[in-house]
Amino acid sequence: MAQPATLLDAERKDDEPPARHERAGAQGIALEIAGFSLWYGETQALFDNTVAVQKGFVTALIGPSGCGKSTLLRAINRMNDLIEGVRIAGEIRLDGVDVYDPRVDVIALRKRMGMVFQKPNPFPMSVFDNVVYPLRVDGVRNRAVLGEACERALRGAALWEEVKDRLGDNALGLSGGQQQRLCIARAIAVEPDVLLMDEPCSALDPLATARIEELVDELRGRYTIIIVTHNMQQAARVSDNTAFMYLGRMIEYGDTQMVFTNPRRRRTADYVTGRFG
Amino acid sequence: MEARAREVGTPLSAPPAVRRTSDLAARGEPFLWLFGGALGLGIFMIVGFLLLVAWNGISTFWPKPIEVVALKGGGLVAGEPTRAESFRPGPERLAGLDAAARAAIERNGGHARRTLYRIGNYDLYNEDFRWVADFEVAGASRPADMVFVERLEWGPFVGRIKEVDLDGARSAGAAPDLGRLSSAHAAARARWQRLREIERGAIGEVNHDLNAERLRLRRAALDHGRDGPRFRQVEAEVAARTAALERAYAGLTAEAEAIRKEDGKFRLTLAEIGGKEKTVPLSEVVRLYPANDLSLWGKLRVYVSRWAEFLSDEPREANTEGGVLPAIFGTAAMTLLMVLVVAPFGVLAALYLREYAKQGKLVSVVRISVNNLAGVPSIVYGVFGLGFFAYIVGATIDQLVFPERLPNPTFGTGGLLWSSLTLALLTVPVVVVATEEALAAVPRSMREGSLACGASKWQTIRYIVLPRAMPGIMTGLILAMARGAGEVAPLMLVGVVKLAPELPVDGFFPYIHLERSFMHLGFHIYDVGFQSRNSEAGKPMVFVTTLLLIGLIAAMNATAIYLRNRLKRKYAVGHF
Ligand SMILES: Nc1ncnc2c1ncn2[C@@H]1O[C@H](COP(=O)(O)OP(=O)(O)O)[C@@H](O)[C@H]1O
Ligand SMILES: [Mg+2]
Repeated sequence: MAQPATLLDAERKDDEPPARHERAGAQGIALEIAGFSLWYGETQALFDNTVAVQKGFVTALIGPSGCGKSTLLRAINRMNDLIEGVRIAGEIRLDGVDVYDPRVDVIALRKRMGMVFQKPNPFPMSVFDNVVYPLRVDGVRNRAVLGEACERALRGAALWEEVKDRLGDNALGLSGGQQQRLCIARAIAVEPDVLLMDEPCSALDPLATARIEELVDELRGRYTIIIVTHNMQQAARVSDNTAFMYLGRMIEYGDTQMVFTNPRRRRTADYVTGRFG
Repeated sequence: MEARAREVGTPLSAPPAVRRTSDLAARGEPFLWLFGGALGLGIFMIVGFLLLVAWNGISTFWPKPIEVVALKGGGLVAGEPTRAESFRPGPERLAGLDAAARAAIERNGGHARRTLYRIGNYDLYNEDFRWVADFEVAGASRPADMVFVERLEWGPFVGRIKEVDLDGARSAGAAPDLGRLSSAHAAARARWQRLREIERGAIGEVNHDLNAERLRLRRAALDHGRDGPRFRQVEAEVAARTAALERAYAGLTAEAEAIRKEDGKFRLTLAEIGGKEKTVPLSEVVRLYPANDLSLWGKLRVYVSRWAEFLSDEPREANTEGGVLPAIFGTAAMTLLMVLVVAPFGVLAALYLREYAKQGKLVSVVRISVNNLAGVPSIVYGVFGLGFFAYIVGATIDQLVFPERLPNPTFGTGGLLWSSLTLALLTVPVVVVATEEALAAVPRSMREGSLACGASKWQTIRYIVLPRAMPGIMTGLILAMARGAGEVAPLMLVGVVKLAPELPVDGFFPYIHLERSFMHLGFHIYDVGFQSRNSEAGKPMVFVTTLLLIGLIAAMNATAIYLRNRLKRKYAVGHF
């Protein structure tokens, strides 16, 4: 790697394994955002965004606060439908089908996508009920099936060992980091195709943040993950691809290493080196 | 600021007066006193009111001694001293007094004291109470042989026992054997109870069946016409059943007659303080005790038995005596029914307004209107309830379902159901507002979390929003209940009566009679205190009934609050 010293390299050791997306393996395109624009009433928040998210990859969405990262993420599973006055243009295709096609069943769509929010939002129920909530609303009633899914999801979210003896306890009694991993478990309980994470670590302490980052690394390859973060080190550490947004526009999108070490745009360079943002 | 100013060298002078005032105002201490004072005054008034009601309510049933007062002008007065006050005797009364007494009154600024005695014996005196001024009194005593007799009719009797006739075994004059008397009294009361059971229960049942047969015949006439095989068949059946019922009726009246005859053999002759006599059947004596010769234990027994009667019996003597069970029952039934109606109604309306309706001008207008409904005078709801529920809905039901009973209305007049619906309408704004607030307070993150899991809107509401909002909704229901249980004015139009012959729940199909009028504690207070022939006798009952009404509402609210807190604890687990 004969490249100038960069932010990324500073953290890398020489015997680092090959680029992470190679581990994930190229599996094709999971999600295509094509010429997507969005308006909140009269104000346009997204301008003609185009991104092809690769299957099994971790894609980071970075950019200064208010640039539209959350808006874009929430557009993918149509959470913006809840806000009055939202209009869109362009397409977001999941397996080739536009999620905004009138024939698409929003509920079925959301079942194919897990979402993790900025602040942990476990429901005021037991740990078990939280994890199997997506299955329950899907009509699954069989205790054995639910139990199995619960364990699988909790193991997937690296939380099983910590909570296996207190599945019946109220989830609000867990620590903040545990709550966020519980939310991840809930998001992956139905084995979604895509996992959307909106700054999942911003409300957590550094230790809990490290656990989540490890977890994202473990989930790589099994799920297509889109993670919004305003922490560039985090983006650099966990993602395969990075998209840089600015004022609602997609400025740059590509291999994380490239975006951080050799950005094509001036603004990207300024941002990743911390000159503004 | 000041310190810095000095450093720079400005001359030291007192800050201008204006500034000091503004500082004082800024510190807010005068306001603190004002607010604290307002709160204190409020608390003082509420506590004072509760103490007044509690003290009067609790002490009413405690047996009081009987005082015999000898008047200066000759004559005796016997009664329970109930209260004393100072008054200003008129000139003609003063003229009739001796010089010493007049001088004493003059020294007192023209005021004298007088005592109100409950003298009872309404049948003999035509009054229950009598004022005796202190200057009239020659002497007072409390003879041990005075008895206080509570009777089924004519109110209490104050006097002495003259003669006891227990089936021919007379014990005239000398101290009656109170032990034997009380066992005979218990037996007489048991007979009376049995008589009431026959008359109310068994004969009532026969009457009910007879009436049902009569209605069946009318119904058949309405359905099939008067001449035809169907009608004749029904007619024959009805005739046979009626004959059987009439035989049963005759048997029951004979039994009742036998009991009454037996009853006539046990009598009690009483003499009032002036010597006039009165003979009453023993079974018509509710309670008899020697008021001046009671141990603490004896007083306690009288006290407890009076409370028991009050809570478990029906009223008598124009509601001034006896119990209030029908009113307790009516109040509780009406309130519970109201909550059963208002809860789903209000919660669904609020759910629609908050969760489903497109938030816009129309919704705002609806919301403001609902809030303003809470300010409509309650009597207006009463008028609406009578005009709409009873006269339109009820009359239609009568025509369609109970044509054979017309022109007697069934649902076409005030009743339990219409009262509950009217009050539900009255309290629905409270529930809607509280529910909307509770729904709005459910964090957005919870809803989004649920929707992102693939839950539908209804599932999100059902599993996430409603459970979280439940404590707030319960608070609304508690407020509605408190408001509804205390409301009287509209009920007077839509179903509350002074004396309801039957409870809304009984042993006859369909067991719960929503069309019946009922009694209510709030109306009972008004009726006893201000509508009866003898408001002085009713006054203590006003306080006891008020105490009971407050207690009943407090009990219902406490139950609801307990339920709410259990819910709250379920959803409030500490963080981190
Ligand atoms: N519900 C909303 N209504 C109107 N404007 C919104 C709403 N949510 C976000 N915006 C606006 O859209 C822009 C992008 O916001 P957001 O996607 O939250 O930014 P980011 O997540 O990158 O910080 C901001 O200017 C913000 O003010
Ligand atoms: Mg954001």
